[in-house]
Amino acid sequence: MIFDVAARSLTSKSVLIPVESLLGDCSGSRMPAVDPGHLSFDSARQAIESCPTSALRMVAEGERRQFIMDYGECIGCGYCLGVGDGLMRPAGKVLHCGVARAALIRRWDVATGEELLADDLVKEGAAEEIRRLFGRALNIRQVDAGSCNGCEAEIGALTSPYYDLERFGIHFVASPKHADMLLVTGPVTHNMAEALRNTYEATPSPRLVVAVGACGCSGGIFSGSYAVRGGIDAVIPVDAYIPGCPPTPAMLLTGILRVLGAEMRER
Amino acid sequence: MSAVGTHSKGAGGRREASVLLAAGNTRLVSIFGSIDDDGERWVHYIVDVDSHEYRLFSEQVKGSIASVTAAAPGAAWYERELHDLFGIEVEGHPSLQPLVFHESWPADIHPRRKGQVGGDYRFLKVQGEGVCEVPVGPVHAGIIEPGHFRFSVVGDTVLHLELRHFYTHKGIEAHFEGVPVMSGMMLAESVSGDNCFAHAVAYCQALENAFGVSVPPRGRALRLIGLELERMLAHIADVGALCGDVAFTVPATYTARLKEALLQASARVTGTRWWRGVARPGGVTRELAKEDARALGSAVAAVAHDFAELAQMILETPSVLNRFESTGVLSSNVARALGVVGPVARASGLKADVRRDHPYGRYRTLTLDVPHYSSGDVLARARIRMDETAMSARLIADAVETLPAGAIAAAGPWDGSAEGFSAVESPRGELLYFARVRDGRIRRCHIKSPSFQNWPALPLAMPGNIIADFPLINKSFNLSYSGCDR
Repeated sequence: MIFDVAARSLTSKSVLIPVESLLGDCSGSRMPAVDPGHLSFDSARQAIESCPTSALRMVAEGERRQFIMDYGECIGCGYCLGVGDGLMRPAGKVLHCGVARAALIRRWDVATGEELLADDLVKEGAAEEIRRLFGRALNIRQVDAGSCNGCEAEIGALTSPYYDLERFGIHFVASPKHADMLLVTGPVTHNMAEALRNTYEATPSPRLVVAVGACGCSGGIFSGSYAVRGGIDAVIPVDAYIPGCPPTPAMLLTGILRVLGAEMRER
Repeated sequence: MSAVGTHSKGAGGRREASVLLAAGNTRLVSIFGSIDDDGERWVHYIVDVDSHEYRLFSEQVKGSIASVTAAAPGAAWYERELHDLFGIEVEGHPSLQPLVFHESWPADIHPRRKGQVGGDYRFLKVQGEGVCEVPVGPVHAGIIEPGHFRFSVVGDTVLHLELRHFYTHKGIEAHFEGVPVMSGMMLAESVSGDNCFAHAVAYCQALENAFGVSVPPRGRALRLIGLELERMLAHIADVGALCGDVAFTVPATYTARLKEALLQASARVTGTRWWRGVARPGGVTRELAKEDARALGSAVAAVAHDFAELAQMILETPSVLNRFESTGVLSSNVARALGVVGPVARASGLKADVRRDHPYGRYRTLTLDVPHYSSGDVLARARIRMDETAMSARLIADAVETLPAGAIAAAGPWDGSAEGFSAVESPRGELLYFARVRDGRIRRCHIKSPSFQNWPALPLAMPGNIIADFPLINKSFNLSYSGCDR
């Protein structure tokens, strides 16, 4: 009966995960990390050969070569983990959630193993204004622009008792007209492009757009398909990106809080 | 091998298939097209004879083909898809309107055809005094996939519902072409994200059948654990969502918690929450150590125990029964005619389950008592999911306890040329992959998704119900948009 359910709920132990354990955590996402100590031309080449997407690549800049790990294209297949002399290992923390597209592309100098840092993070404009107007209260409208539903399954988990997005004053709303942020999964299909544009137009300014998942960031493994336009930014302007295939709830939460600047303020 | 059938090629393939379909003991599984090395178009029919034998008929297309929709109404969407994707004319089809391509589809973008595809689409116009049209979607109110529903209502009562889907059409079958078989895994895992392991295993089995590779017993047991865990995740989430749709939010939240517990248990022992990257042609990629197997087993048992208690409480709550009972009835006649599969079929009196009818992997050594109900309403579809969650937990417990020793994967000659197909019982029902491989690369991959099969049945469960019950009825079917649209 209804009261048994209520009683059960009241006697259950809390499973809420504290925010400090969530920020940057990417366990269960299969995301790899680069160990620059093992970076050499050969190890980089082996890792690149094992990568079925173009997440791992090398570019020449004059005499020097850069090894590139693009989290926006990585689907966490794990093929690179066994090769390349320990160059790639499972990541414990991925801090690059909710950042600019360029910041998802990490680069190392192949000769020295030194990371070449990208300095452009989130575009501050809209985020700053939303913070000023609403503090941390944020209304999110989720839009599926063609996803496989893997990202949706994880976004849905954000409202579960483990993550409880509402504790931060963040809600999912039913209409773009009530939203401050569009959380968009991709790839954008031809059949969804118009609906996505209309949804964006219906969202009042100031508004933030966050692209979610490898497909949302870059088109992912569907890049090049006749039916796919590309990542979200192929159709509407995007403020920040959350990588992963799919991103775990912890990565999503890290990204959303970073966009709002909340993470920085709490530290 | 698993779920193999016979394959007939020749001029009379379509006729043979349609004779079987008209005879009444045969269910249409899928229709799809292909193009051979000479550029000739072929049409393929897969049918299931007497619920235990898959048969594949292939015929070269000369000019047009005759529709089989009259004999098997479930063929209607397959033939429309054939028309859209391969430009094959289907004579005698009741309504060959565009299915995959919408009005906004750009000109000259098509894998196999030239010029403008898609074009105008006409919704059925329901006329009469007081009839209103209510359009819903593609962008919905919840965190769900896009699709369009067009209701014709009088007051609150629905007279007619028409679906317009394929918003998430990603051209996946064409995108498979040319991909090395190992990399095809990743595409298979991204067809329907919450059933990714079932898709991965079905893809692997099609290749294993094609190349005659047998998965070692330990690999089969580990696959069963993953498949049943995925079923538990799906069914628990569905029951929770059904409660959410009747404003019974406490169990909705409680199921979210149970589901997350299973995902975290998976992540701890496999490194992945959704078993992505675990299946591979020939077996699985991850070993499951004894203590990990035990930990996973006890997490599953704890969740199953909690869920069983919760399910009992839900079924004893009158306000829930009031909403679930006699809502959204899909009659067994309609379900059979449309070839409906999975939990939806089993709630409408059909006993179809690939695990029992066309056993594969470890299921070949098991005797399954498949639950089924005959009322065809939301309640029956909820109960099926409750019963099957308990059954999946028992299957996992058994597999964990009797986990065979030995290799987890067999090597294969994957760089050769071959073709084959295979089915699994995904959480949504019969999921079949057909794969043709040339020199280690996919030449043609067809995915028969249970959602593609079941979507046309949803509108037939709506008339006479009130529009406010649509979210509940839709959720009780819980079909995948991306799996259908591919």
